[in-house]
Amino acid sequence: MAETRIAFKAGRAFRRGSTNFVDPDPTKGAILLQNGEDGLLHFIWKNRSTDDAEEDLILFPGDATFQKVEQSAWGRTYVLKFSSSNQRHFFWMQDADSRRDEEFVGNVNRLLADPTIVPIWYSEGYNPHNQASGSTSAPAASTSAAAASQPSGTAQATPEELARIHSILSSLGTNNGAGSSLAQSLQPPQLDISLTDVLTPANLRPLFASRPDLVQALFLHLPPDLPTPPTVETLERVVQSPQFRAAVRNLDTALRTGLLGDLVRTLGLPAEAGTGVEPFLRALQDQARREGEGEGSGSGSGDRMETD
Amino acid sequence: MAADDDTSGWQLTESDPGVFTELLKTLGVPLVVDDLYSLDAATLTEFQPLHALIFLFKWVSTGSAEPSVGGQYDPDFPGFFAHQVVNNACATLAVMNAIANIPGLQMGAQLSDLFSFTAGMDPQTSGMAITSSDWLREAHNALSPPSAISLDGLDLPKSTEDAYHFIVYIPYAGSLYELDGLKQAPVSHGAYSEAGEGWVAKAREVIEARIGTYPPGSLEFSLLAVHDDPLPRLQEQLTQLQSAGAEASELMVRLANENSKRERWAFENSLRRHNYLGFIHALLLSMAKAGTLDGAKEGAKKALQERIERRKKGEAMDED
Repeated sequence: MAETRIAFKAGRAFRRGSTNFVDPDPTKGAILLQNGEDGLLHFIWKNRSTDDAEEDLILFPGDATFQKVEQSAWGRTYVLKFSSSNQRHFFWMQDADSRRDEEFVGNVNRLLADPTIVPIWYSEGYNPHNQASGSTSAPAASTSAAAASQPSGTAQATPEELARIHSILSSLGTNNGAGSSLAQSLQPPQLDISLTDVLTPANLRPLFASRPDLVQALFLHLPPDLPTPPTVETLERVVQSPQFRAAVRNLDTALRTGLLGDLVRTLGLPAEAGTGVEPFLRALQDQARREGEGEGSGSGSGDRMETD
Repeated sequence: MAADDDTSGWQLTESDPGVFTELLKTLGVPLVVDDLYSLDAATLTEFQPLHALIFLFKWVSTGSAEPSVGGQYDPDFPGFFAHQVVNNACATLAVMNAIANIPGLQMGAQLSDLFSFTAGMDPQTSGMAITSSDWLREAHNALSPPSAISLDGLDLPKSTEDAYHFIVYIPYAGSLYELDGLKQAPVSHGAYSEAGEGWVAKAREVIEARIGTYPPGSLEFSLLAVHDDPLPRLQEQLTQLQSAGAEASELMVRLANENSKRERWAFENSLRRHNYLGFIHALLLSMAKAGTLDGAKEGAKKALQERIERRKKGEAMDED
């Protein structure tokens, strides 16, 4: 399935004849950046009235940029330019609120430069329903009315919202109630929690204190030439050290690329665990449960009982 | 500057006294490096005999070919001077520029061979010779994190790349010299007086003048002192005092401080070389088994929300 990375409301604009004037077309639309099934980045303009993708451009990393047209008196006209050709595609922002233009554009350009990056959203308080006047976006409470007014029954949510929902669902990892939790899910774009906030000295200290028997096991994973004895105090010193903090930060950053499938397999985790911080932690909890059961039933560590 | 992006296998290391001292030890050089928090006479006296000062700062390129304030290029500098040809090697290169010019310094055979090999070479070729030395690169890389958890190939933004720049100040043949691997030649700041503090007084003057050329607060810098290892001397003094039955408590305190600093360096260097993937995995697994991971995740969610709130407030303030 194609994965929508960014979506926001925008209409097209066209050059008037061969002049340098660009006129906005009033048709309601949206720009979507998708990682296609073909593995390529697609820049799509979708007509929000018909839900048809009327433009579908395949973009190669680093080839295209999305720039503000400085000559535009109105200030919300943008152009998609290519370094490999003279092609120009003009768009204008249709979100009622212009405050997020820069944010969308920044993320578009980051994705155009590198399709693997994770978009950076400034804030979570954004709710399109509060600002969008005359747009097709509809509060969850009135989805039936919205659906009735739409030619397509699947158009309760704008592509923008769908992209958000997608990111929320994937970050929460829940598939239940996608429709019913629409209103709830409109709060974010949800950001992933940080591994650095999980592995804090404050979280680890009680663990060390309550399970002094862990010290030996954990020391197996520390440098053998550590000049201090294997004690709780040393563990606390390690987890407070800039070197350990930096390593956690690195792993966190790396997990956010979603590309650590191979690395996490070396830890006995499924490849999905390498797709983000939350999936990583979830997989670890599963692993802990499995190992817990294994210990409980007294089976050898390498022995797994298959029940098929 | 095409070589800037070329790491040639040199990894970025921390500019930490413990790292430099460990490097010197590997090179068979009996000197240690300490942070200097002040250039006042009392602080500097503590580190005598002081052989070189390394001034390091976040580098903003001025593109200037001029020698620094108050100095003159000395293309005929008879000592050792190498250009910085690989960015990540800059710390080690600064150390080379410093120690190669200390007369009669004890050093390992490999290092003294390397210095003889570069004798008579121009600064650029010397820089190439230094940075193409496999054993030196290994000694340097030994103190950077191992690559198993390194993020090569993931095209992450390289945040650590903004370069620190290293400048070495040394006394040489009666003059104070400034060796900057990005300048065409060593810069001479003229003769210093042997009286009183000697070359250090001149260096203080020059460094303070240099800091003065930057707008206040705009410069992030540190100063490192390359000096004799004080441990053998302190121990000898202690033995003398004790055999004379004299009061030695002040000396004992200094010795204890020095030793605990060495222990901390050893601890940190050991942590620097380590790959934490297994440890992080074991910690999280232990948390999950102890049932504390869920709570920690909740805490992390709160921390995330708070960061977002703070950023929102920050944004609102920006808009005003």
